[in-house]
Amino acid sequence: MQQILVIAKQTFKEAVRNKILFILITLGVVTICCSVFMPVVGDGREKIKIVESMCFRSITFFGTLAAILLSASSIPTDIDNKVICTITAKPVQRTNIIFGKIIGFVYIIGVLLLIMGSVSYTLIRYTALKQGTQGSSRGLLAREQFDPVNLQITGDSAKKIGNVSWIEGGGKGASVWKFKGLSSKDKNDDLAIEANFLIEGKKRSTGRIPVKIKIINPYSARILTESMEVSRNKPLLLRLNGKSLDGSEELTIVVSPENSGDFLGIRADSLRIFWGEKGFGCNYLKGLTIISTQFLLMVVIAVLGSTFLSLPVNILFCLFVFFCGNITDFMRDLSTVINVIETSEHEHGISGVMQKSNVYLMYLNHIIKKPILLLSYILPDFRYFSVGKYFIDGINIPCKRIFMGFGYAVLYALVCLPISFLVFKRKEIA
Amino acid sequence: MLLLWTIVLLSGRAWKLSDDIAIKTEDLTKAYRSFWGRKKVLALNKLNIAIRKGEIFGLLGPNGSGKTTTLKLLLGLIFPTEGRAYVLGEATDDVAIKSRIGFMPEESCFYRFLNADETLDFYGQLFRIPGKERKLRTNRLLTRVGLEFARKRPLKQYSKGMLRRIGIAQALINDPDLIILDEPTSGLDPIGTRETKDLILGLKAQGKTVLLCSHLLSDVQDICDRVAIIDKGELQISGTIGELLANRDIVELLIRNLSKETLMEVERFIQEKQGEVVSIKNSSGTLEDLFLKIVQERRETSWDRSD
Ligand SMILES: Nc1ncnc2c1ncn2[C@@H]1O[C@H](COP(=O)(O)OP(=O)(O)O)[C@@H](O)[C@H]1O
Ligand SMILES: [Mg+2]
Repeated sequence: MQQILVIAKQTFKEAVRNKILFILITLGVVTICCSVFMPVVGDGREKIKIVESMCFRSITFFGTLAAILLSASSIPTDIDNKVICTITAKPVQRTNIIFGKIIGFVYIIGVLLLIMGSVSYTLIRYTALKQGTQGSSRGLLAREQFDPVNLQITGDSAKKIGNVSWIEGGGKGASVWKFKGLSSKDKNDDLAIEANFLIEGKKRSTGRIPVKIKIINPYSARILTESMEVSRNKPLLLRLNGKSLDGSEELTIVVSPENSGDFLGIRADSLRIFWGEKGFGCNYLKGLTIISTQFLLMVVIAVLGSTFLSLPVNILFCLFVFFCGNITDFMRDLSTVINVIETSEHEHGISGVMQKSNVYLMYLNHIIKKPILLLSYILPDFRYFSVGKYFIDGINIPCKRIFMGFGYAVLYALVCLPISFLVFKRKEIA
Repeated sequence: MLLLWTIVLLSGRAWKLSDDIAIKTEDLTKAYRSFWGRKKVLALNKLNIAIRKGEIFGLLGPNGSGKTTTLKLLLGLIFPTEGRAYVLGEATDDVAIKSRIGFMPEESCFYRFLNADETLDFYGQLFRIPGKERKLRTNRLLTRVGLEFARKRPLKQYSKGMLRRIGIAQALINDPDLIILDEPTSGLDPIGTRETKDLILGLKAQGKTVLLCSHLLSDVQDICDRVAIIDKGELQISGTIGELLANRDIVELLIRNLSKETLMEVERFIQEKQGEVVSIKNSSGTLEDLFLKIVQERRETSWDRSD
């Protein structure tokens, strides 16, 4: 253990004296501070949103950069300098070297997070305070979000394309959302129901369709019916007095388009309820926790790479992993796109030339699609760690997210670390 | 009875080194592979040597003959393709035994941003030496290798000779029983070389075993008890210096205050006894001796040599 800590301290010292850490932190802080001067259209909340999003983006960016640059370079540099010769000639298990390095990187990232995090926090608070004096009521939101526990689509005309279900109006279909466990400290607060639907109307030009919303309290059997219009790219907002729950914790919401020929596109997370508010500071900490989990994941990958790759290759490898990890969705889509091209060719079938290109497409399918799909599942999925949208929407991060992110990272580490140990143990330090 | 013997021979652990052997290699072979596992370089081919406790053993050979490879195999930094080696009675993959070994690599490679104090402290901590003891040893070693004046300077400002010295110091931080030195005198000036040689002899006087490798023959000749010469990875010859250099039909006489007449008489006497005088000349000494003499005299007048 002592050896691990010694190596960790050494790694940290190296990063500090290299000045890379210092430069990255300085750049990060400067970027964060610049966000204050960004021009904004809109009210005070918009301004705060910009600052919040900039802060989280730059912490993520510079933190990842630090994690990659420092942890991907440390072991290869030691090997190049042959410092590792003198260390492995001492009674140190090679696994301890790797553990020590990782803990050293944790120190480094901790310092970065501490500095950038506290600067960001101060800045966000400051911005909120300044905007608050200009009249906007609540600046820093951390609303408690409730997701539906159950979504039912009724009606025969419902059709599922991808992850979107389309229901038709005129009594031909409806979506039934069930919520449970609704609770808030202040029962008098308004419940906010927010919905993001896709629409497809008869009259395409208008870009909005009328919908009927029924809110049912299964406890008191009270029913509230509202008629509203859904626009193409504006969320639907509905406020409900908290008292109308009558002490119940459940709510059922039924949404259906009014007219036949109008379609409503629904995803599982299209409708959410916000009720009550949590402290911003706590939410901010949760956000940082999730981001730092991502950094740790990056460190583990960089260390894995550095056991068998040379310095420049390893940095490229890490950047590649990080880039792809952020676009796994796209990679999976890409493979379906190729699929779509192929099948449409089949349908139209036909000329000799076409046939030939078909063969190429088949070829393409196997050469590109499969590996990309495989890659998108092997590489870590960094969307587990994206927290920006919680802050932009002013939503309290559910604790589930932290555990999910953490669990994912731990799982990944459990696969990567043993491989690193094994490879490094057999590595010839020549 | 025969069966019992075979069992003892086959089980590697049961095989015991006789107590006065510090290092033993058995058909130690190393072939380097390229990245793809092809194209081998046979760096070491079936090396068999045994080094006794308490002696200074010199591994000699031209550049690229496999000396460093041998040392790295002994330290478990690389793994043998074939054969085995035992260090202080243990196989080379035993990590714990390294606490009794001190190693100075060929190039002095340390963290460039640490100073001498921090470097020794770092390595001392890797040996789990308690803090107070570490401090004590650091001070003592820095004095011993003559680096006290530069202890707070980062190693990146060190000259090559100073780096060698710190290399020796870090190899001695754990007060090892066995010291392995790769080219201890390369890059050192004659004084540094002399001091290093004295230091090595001092280690021997403390009862420690020293294995050093070098391509500078004069170093080895002065201090080594026994040597092995390898070339292209193969052992050519080994034995004590005396054995290897003994040239039994030539005798050298070194005589002071000999008059010309006596010299002629001696010559005549030798010829009478059927001997042949090959050459008669004034003893010239080596350039090294001259250099040492001049510099030492200057040292005595200007005391501080440090900066
Ligand atoms: N890491 C390595 N990969 C491939 N070949 C190597 C490596 N290290 C040394 N060699 C080769 O092994 C041979 C012996 O090298 P080395 O033991 O360093 O020689 P010496 O220390 O006697 O000068 C040389 O031919 C050298 O080219
Ligand atoms: Mg060498």
